[in-house]
Amino acid sequence: MLENVIIGQYVPGRSILHRLDPRSKLISVFLFVFIVFLANNWVTYGLLGLFTAVAIVVSQVPLRFLYKGLRPILIIVLFTFALHIFMTKGGALLFQFGWLKIYEQGVVQGSFISFRLIFLVLVTSLLTLTTTPIDITDGLEQLLGPLKRIKLPVHEFALMMSIALRFIPTLLKETEKIMKAQMARGVEFTSGPIKERIKAFIPLLVPLFISSFKRAEELALAMEARGYRGGEGRTKLRILKWGMGDSILIAVLLILTISLFLLRS
Amino acid sequence: MHKGKVYRMIAVSMLSGIAYVLMAFDFPLPGFPKYLQIDFSEVPALLAAVLFGPGSGIVVEAIKNLLHYCLQNSLTGVPIDQMANFIAGTAFIVPASFLFKKNRTTKSLSMGLVTGTILMTLLMGILNYAVILPAYTWFLHAPQMSSQAMLNLVLVGIAPFNIIKGLLITILFVLLYTRLRPMLKRYSY
Repeated sequence: MLENVIIGQYVPGRSILHRLDPRSKLISVFLFVFIVFLANNWVTYGLLGLFTAVAIVVSQVPLRFLYKGLRPILIIVLFTFALHIFMTKGGALLFQFGWLKIYEQGVVQGSFISFRLIFLVLVTSLLTLTTTPIDITDGLEQLLGPLKRIKLPVHEFALMMSIALRFIPTLLKETEKIMKAQMARGVEFTSGPIKERIKAFIPLLVPLFISSFKRAEELALAMEARGYRGGEGRTKLRILKWGMGDSILIAVLLILTISLFLLRS
Repeated sequence: MHKGKVYRMIAVSMLSGIAYVLMAFDFPLPGFPKYLQIDFSEVPALLAAVLFGPGSGIVVEAIKNLLHYCLQNSLTGVPIDQMANFIAGTAFIVPASFLFKKNRTTKSLSMGLVTGTILMTLLMGILNYAVILPAYTWFLHAPQMSSQAMLNLVLVGIAPFNIIKGLLITILFVLLYTRLRPMLKRYSY
């Protein structure tokens, strides 16, 4: 569990999808979330499925990681599918057994709705599976850049997100260390009555807060000594590069959107 | 020692990091459904709001949820859970920090936190009924809930849950703040 907290879902790799600019991936996923709802017949769902399948193959992410994202919704998907099969009436009668009647429309609607949710979860998972959080942050900063015009502190927000990301492993290690020290003294964090559990959190949080304030002080001093003055004119270590692949991805998404509009019934 | 804007920014980032870490240590309350989990990630946001003003508290809530989405994705792929958490957290900490700002005593802090709990419960009740539950059923294509069923869920599940969550965090934060106070003088901005 703790490893999952630090690195999230990211699966390291060198596939085309890994190397794409986070900006193009963010735009595509954002667009995909909307166009998924355009599909309403077999052709349009087929197109979405084809896009999802190609993306998965290209990403080279092992399928078990994708399954991990799907697992929590699988039961809900199966349940709604079953519900549609038994409840939705219309079209030809496919199967009859006593009072149980399954209609064509039930099967069709049930599978459409299940596919929609599965595509949605798979594509958004692919973003977090192939993009490091720090890249997502950089991409978001660049994409939201125009908002600086209306005095929104986009750069500061992105910097704060990167600092928080950088210190999550440190903070987690420290939390664990304090927890173990307390547990060695007989404190229970995960069991016992709620009242005791709340009390147990205090000796954990006090040192955690104080040490992170100390750390913040040191980091602020170091940054100011190096002349940090905010976003204007600041150079970067990692520079995002928009390549051919990114333009192709956006083009594919646009073609997909237009075809969905044309082919939907 | 004078502490400037950079210090405040970094301290708020650190608190956001702590908030994200604390989100991982969540636990269900006995007697409530499993998807209603309680965690203490509101505590660092409260501390930021108390030390640096309500805006910083909101920033902690925002970064915490953005990080959670970037690192963990969400159930439906669309960040409904994170948005709900952000709105609940904001509704909780903003009134608390405003009421506390006036005279900065333990009493005003507890009053503020209780007000925050009430506001959060009311807002989340309305939002769940009007937006969040319909959004979930829509995205998950679960069977449509009747408005009576949603009302029941809000009144029996979500509202009492938010009250208990708010009160638990209130108790924890008041105890914590009285202990931290002497040390915080040095680190406030």
